[in-house]
Amino acid sequence: MLPLLAPAAFTQDVADLFAARVQPVLVQECQGCHGASMTLSKLDVRSRESLLRGGARGPAIVPGNAKASLLVRMIEGADGVQMPPAKRLPPDTVAAVRAWVDAGAPWKEAKTETWANYKPEDLWALRPVRTRDAAKTIDSFLKPGPAADRRTLIRRVTIDLTGLPPSPEEIDAFVNDKSTQAWPRLIDRLLASPRYGERWARHWLDVVRYADTGGYSNDFERPNAWRYRDYVIRAFNTDKPYDRFIREQLAGDELYPGNAEALIATGFLRMGPWEHTGMSVEAVTRQMFLDDVTHSTAATFLGLTLGCARCHDHKFDPLPTKDYYRMQAVFASTEFVRPALPFLPAENVAGLAPAKAHMDAVATLAKQRMDELNKLQKQSKDPELFEEFKLYQKHTALYKESLDRFEPKAFAVSSGPLDGATDGGPNLRYPKAAQYKPADIHILPGGNVQSPAEKVTPGVLGLLERYGGYPSPAVPETTEGRRSALANWIADPRNPLTARVMTNRIWQYHFGEGIAADTNNFGKMGKKPTNPELLDWLAATFIENGWSVKSVHRAILLSAAYQQADRAPRRVEAEVLRDSILAVTGELSPATGGPGTVPQINEDVARQAQHRMGSLAPVYRPSPKKSDRNRRTIYTFQQRSLVNPMVEVFNGPSLDLSCERRDTATIPTQAFTLFNSQFVHDMALALAEKMKGQPVRKVFRRVLGRWPDATEERTLKATLDRLAQLNREAPPRPASQPVVHTITSELTGAQHRFVHQEDPAAFEHNLHPSEAPPAVRAMADVILALLNSNEFAYVY
Amino acid sequence: MSTNLSRRHLLLGSGMGLGSVALSAMMAEQGPHHKAKAKNCIFLLMEGGPSHIDTFDPKPRLDALHMTKFQKERNKFEANMNTGERYYVKSPFQFRRAGKMGIEINTQFEEFSSVVDDVCFYRGLRAESVNHPTALYHLNTGTQFGGDPAIGAWTSYGLGTINKNLPSFIVLPDTAYPQGGAANWSNGFLPAIHQGTPLRPTGSPVLDMAPPPGVTPERQRATLDLLNTLNSKHQQRHPSHAELAARVESYELAFRMQAEMPKVLDLATENKQTLDMYGIGGPNKDADAIGRRCLLARRLVQAGVRFVQVIVMGWDSHDYIENAHGARIRAIDKPIAALMKDLKRTGLLDETLVVWSGEFGRSPDNGIRRDGTAWGRDHNATAMSCWLAGGGVKAGHIVGATDETGLKGVEVVHPIRDFHVTLLHLLGLDDSKLRYLHAGREKQLSQTGGELIRDLLT
Repeated sequence: MLPLLAPAAFTQDVADLFAARVQPVLVQECQGCHGASMTLSKLDVRSRESLLRGGARGPAIVPGNAKASLLVRMIEGADGVQMPPAKRLPPDTVAAVRAWVDAGAPWKEAKTETWANYKPEDLWALRPVRTRDAAKTIDSFLKPGPAADRRTLIRRVTIDLTGLPPSPEEIDAFVNDKSTQAWPRLIDRLLASPRYGERWARHWLDVVRYADTGGYSNDFERPNAWRYRDYVIRAFNTDKPYDRFIREQLAGDELYPGNAEALIATGFLRMGPWEHTGMSVEAVTRQMFLDDVTHSTAATFLGLTLGCARCHDHKFDPLPTKDYYRMQAVFASTEFVRPALPFLPAENVAGLAPAKAHMDAVATLAKQRMDELNKLQKQSKDPELFEEFKLYQKHTALYKESLDRFEPKAFAVSSGPLDGATDGGPNLRYPKAAQYKPADIHILPGGNVQSPAEKVTPGVLGLLERYGGYPSPAVPETTEGRRSALANWIADPRNPLTARVMTNRIWQYHFGEGIAADTNNFGKMGKKPTNPELLDWLAATFIENGWSVKSVHRAILLSAAYQQADRAPRRVEAEVLRDSILAVTGELSPATGGPGTVPQINEDVARQAQHRMGSLAPVYRPSPKKSDRNRRTIYTFQQRSLVNPMVEVFNGPSLDLSCERRDTATIPTQAFTLFNSQFVHDMALALAEKMKGQPVRKVFRRVLGRWPDATEERTLKATLDRLAQLNREAPPRPASQPVVHTITSELTGAQHRFVHQEDPAAFEHNLHPSEAPPAVRAMADVILALLNSNEFAYVY
Repeated sequence: MSTNLSRRHLLLGSGMGLGSVALSAMMAEQGPHHKAKAKNCIFLLMEGGPSHIDTFDPKPRLDALHMTKFQKERNKFEANMNTGERYYVKSPFQFRRAGKMGIEINTQFEEFSSVVDDVCFYRGLRAESVNHPTALYHLNTGTQFGGDPAIGAWTSYGLGTINKNLPSFIVLPDTAYPQGGAANWSNGFLPAIHQGTPLRPTGSPVLDMAPPPGVTPERQRATLDLLNTLNSKHQQRHPSHAELAARVESYELAFRMQAEMPKVLDLATENKQTLDMYGIGGPNKDADAIGRRCLLARRLVQAGVRFVQVIVMGWDSHDYIENAHGARIRAIDKPIAALMKDLKRTGLLDETLVVWSGEFGRSPDNGIRRDGTAWGRDHNATAMSCWLAGGGVKAGHIVGATDETGLKGVEVVHPIRDFHVTLLHLLGLDDSKLRYLHAGREKQLSQTGGELIRDLLT
C-alpha cells in the first residue's frame, strides 16, 4: 500500500540505499584497486567484513560513525588524500555513502531486477487510452449470463448506490413495475437521492483516510475537517466533474481564489495522520507531511505506489528517486492554514448552536476544575492533586481545539503562510508571509532527512512522457503555481492514468473487484487488468461525458453484466450494516452534514482510559440526543485513536493507510458484536416497540424486505411464543456508574485514581427493556435474530 | 455459560461442515520457516522509554559530570524538548553486580537480580524517533506511521493458532491505552483474524462476549435457534457459497471462545505460593496489577496463545526519576522475576521467547525545569537497554555497549528492524519470507529486510 507506511525519519531504508547507491560505487570506483585483482594498501572493499578489517591505514568503516570512517574521509578528501584518485565523486554519492555508514553500514546485495529491463506489458497503464469505439457497450466486452430476479436486483443496486437496503414498499413497486423503463427509472431515482453521495463519499474517504483527528500523542481534533467530508458528499451528489474535483483538492486555493468549496477541498492534502509536539523534530514532521502528501496524491489520483522511490530508484516501476523528489517539491510551498471561511448555504449549521452550547458546558466544567485544582495543588504540593490538575489541563487543551469545529474556518492549505491563520500547533515556527521562501527540496538518499543530496526543482513524474508520450509541463519555482501545474497535469484527458484509475475504482465498488484488481497500484506489481479494452472504453466514456461519475454508473448499471444472476455474495461493509440496522428499525436520523456526532458504542470501549501526552483523554461521551447518535455512520466523529468497535470489527478502513478495497473476512468477534452488543439489542427493541401489536410476519418483512414463507412463519410464531414465556421478567435497569480511571504518574511512578466529571447535558436514553411489555421484549429477540441473519448481512 | 455445549451441538448439527473448511483456511499458517525452540512470545512493553542508565547500564562517568551545564541550540533536527540549557544528571540509584556475568543492575531489582543468568541483556539497540507514538509504532509495527501489522499479528500470521478457541495475539494493556492507541496491536493489512485482542482489566475481556444484563441463556438459545433456522433456509437457496457457512460457523467459534476464555482468565485456580511469587495480593498495589498481567501471560501462552504483549506504562521520567523510576522498578521487579521463574519451572521457558523493552532509552542530561531540582531524563533514540530470555537466546550475557555517558550505542549497534528480524528468527520465522502482498507491494515487518543480530543467539 501507500507508503504512508514509510516514515520519513532517518534511516529506514538504508539497506536498500546500499544496494542502490553505495554498492555500485564500491564496485565501479574502488574495486579496480581494492578488490579481486589487487588490494592496494591491503584494502579489499568486497565485503562488510573486509571493510571493517580495513587496510594499512586501519579500518575503512566505523559503523555508525561516518566522520571516523576512512572510506568516507577519503572520498571527501578530508585528510588531504582524495579517493578515487584525481576524481571527486558527486556530492549526492558521497552523502549516500555517509548516510549508509552512519546508519550502521548494513550490507545487502542488490537485487538484479531493475526497471531498465522492463517488459512492455508492465507499462500498460502509461500508454494512451484507446480511442472509444462508439458502437461498443460494456456487454460487448463480456459475456454476461442471465439476469437476476427483480428482488435481488433492487437490493443489489440500492445498497450499491445508497448504502441502505430498499424498503419493502420500494421492493414491491419495482417488482410490480412491468415497464421496460423500470430499471433505468430506478437507477435515476437512486442517483438523485442524497443518500447516493453519502454512500460514494465513504468510498472516497477510504482512499484519502478521512479522520476528524490527527492521531499520535494527543490525537487533537481537526476541528473543521468535517467541511471536507461534506464537500465530498456534495461533489458526488451534484456530479461535480471529476477533473474539477481533482483540481479543487490539489490546488483549489490557487486555481479558484475566493471559491469556498475549492478552499475546503484542499483539506485533502492534510488528511494523513500528523502531529508536531515539543517532543518531535521539526525537520522530521515536515518531511513526514511531504512524503505523505506525495504518496497520497500519486496513489489516489494516479494509482502509483511511490514509496520505494523515496529512498532509491523504484525497483519495479520507472520512477527514479529524482522524480519522486521533484514531485515532492511541488508541495514545498504548501503550508497548513485554518482561515476564516463563512458557512455555505449547502452546509448544515442547524445543529451547531446546541452542540456548541453542550461542548462549552463540558469545557467550562473542566476549566473550572482545572483552576480549582491548580490553586489547591500549589498550596498543598500534593502530587495526587497535581496529577488531577494535569488531567483537566489536558482536557481543557483538547476541548479548546475541538470547540473550533463550530467556527466558520477551513481546514486547508495555502501556498506560503497566511499571516494570522497558520495551523499546526504552537511548536511550529512560521515566517511572515512577506519573508517567506519555499524550502529547497533535495534528494534524500535512503529517505534520510539529515543527509540531503542534490537539490531538485519541482516537476511531475517523467514516466508518462517517456513511455506514454504525454508531455510533462514545466512547474514554476515560485511560491504559487506549483500545485496548479500538478493538478492540471493530472486532470487532463491526455493523462492516461487519471480516468483509468477512477473508472476502475467505480467498477470495483459495483462488482467487488476492479478490472485491475489493485486500484491504488497500476504499476508493475499491481495486478494486470483482466479486460484492458473494457477499462479503456470506460475511461474514454468518462472523459467524453465531461468526467461525469454518474455517467459511468449509468453505463455500468444498465449493462447486462451488472444485472446478471449468480453473483458471489458480498457481506456489506461495516457502515452499511450499522446504517441498515438503524434504517430498518426506523431509528436512522435523516439529518445530513455538520460536525461529527458521537454514536453509542460498546460501553467498555467508551469507558476505556486512553493515554494522551502527559495525562489521559476525556471520557467518550455519546451525543445526548438520539437523533445525533443515530446519524449515518459517515456523519459520526472519526477519531483515529478510538474507532467505533462495531466498524472496526466488521473490517472498517484504516484511518492511517489508504484503503483501496475493504476486507470482508468473517471473524468470530463479529458474532459477539451483532448478537450481544447493547446497540443492536437497543435497536431491535426500538423496532419491536414501534410495531407493537403487529403480526410477526410484518416485522419480518420490515427487516428483510419480503414476507416469510409458511415454514418460516411457523418457526417465527413458535419462537415468539417461547420467547414471550422467557421474557416474563423484566431485567432491572442498572444504575449508571461514574467513570473511574487510573494513571501512573510520570513524576512519582505511583498510581492516581480519577473520577471523571459527569456530562452536564440531560441524556436521552434508548428505550430500556424494563419499559416495554414482555411481548415487545420477545419480539425484540426475534428481530435480533433477523438482524444477525445472513440474508440481512449479504448482498448478491 | 451453561448452554454453550448445547448451542455448539445445535450449530454443528445443522450441516455446516463446509464452514469449518472456509474458516480454517483463513487461519492457516505460513511458517515456520526453520526449526526454532520458541513457539510463543511474551513481549513486556515498557511504555514511555525506561532509562538504560538507571536500570541495566550504569554510567559512573555521570557522577563526575553531575550538574555540569551546557547549551543546545534550537534547530530543526532536534525536538524542542531536547534544546536550550541542559545539565548532566547522575543516576540517583545504587547498583550491584548480579549473575555469573556480573552485570551491574539497579539494587531496586531485588528479585529480578536472581534470574539474570537466564537473561541476555542487549545494550546496542537503536530507535529512530524521540517521540512516543512514532517510536511505539516503530517498535510494534516496524514503521513510525500507524496502520501496519504489529509483530504479534505477523507472528500469528506466520505460525497460526495453537488453540482455535482463543485469539492467537492477545494484548494486556495497562490502566490506559498507550499513546497511538489500538494501532499498536493492529493487524494492518493482514487478515483481521490476526488482530491483537486487548483484554481489558475491567469489563468484558473480549468485547460483547456477554449479552446485555438480563438476557438469560435460555433466551439466547431460543434466539440463536431461530437464527440458525433462518440461515439454514438461506443456505438452501444459495448452496454453493462457502462464506455463508463460514459465517454460521463463526458464531459457533465465538461461543466456544465465550466458554474457554473465562477459564483461562480465572487466576483463582492458581495456588497461593504462585500468587505470592507474582506479588498478587501483596502490599504493592502496582506490583499486584502487573503481577496479574504477567501471570495471565503465562496462562495464555500455556493455553496456546502465540503472542502476548504485556504493557507497563509510566516510564516517561522527565522529572524526579528517583521517585518515578524507583516506583516502576519496584512494581515490575517481583512480577517479571516470577514470570521467569514460573516459565522455567513449568518448562515453558524453552519454548517461549520473553522480551523486555521500551520504545527508546533516555538521555544522560536534562532540560532545566523546576529550578534544576527535578532530576530526570529526556528521550534518547540512540541508546537503550532491552533484554531477551527463553528459547534460542544466549542466556547470561551482556551484548553491545553504550558510550561513557550512555548517550549513544557504540558496540553491536543495530536498528529496530534487525531486532525484528531476530525476534522472528527466534520464533522460527524468516522476515524475508514472511511477506504479504498488499496493494501490489510485498510487505514485511522489517519493511526492507534486516540483519540477524547473531550475538543474541545461542
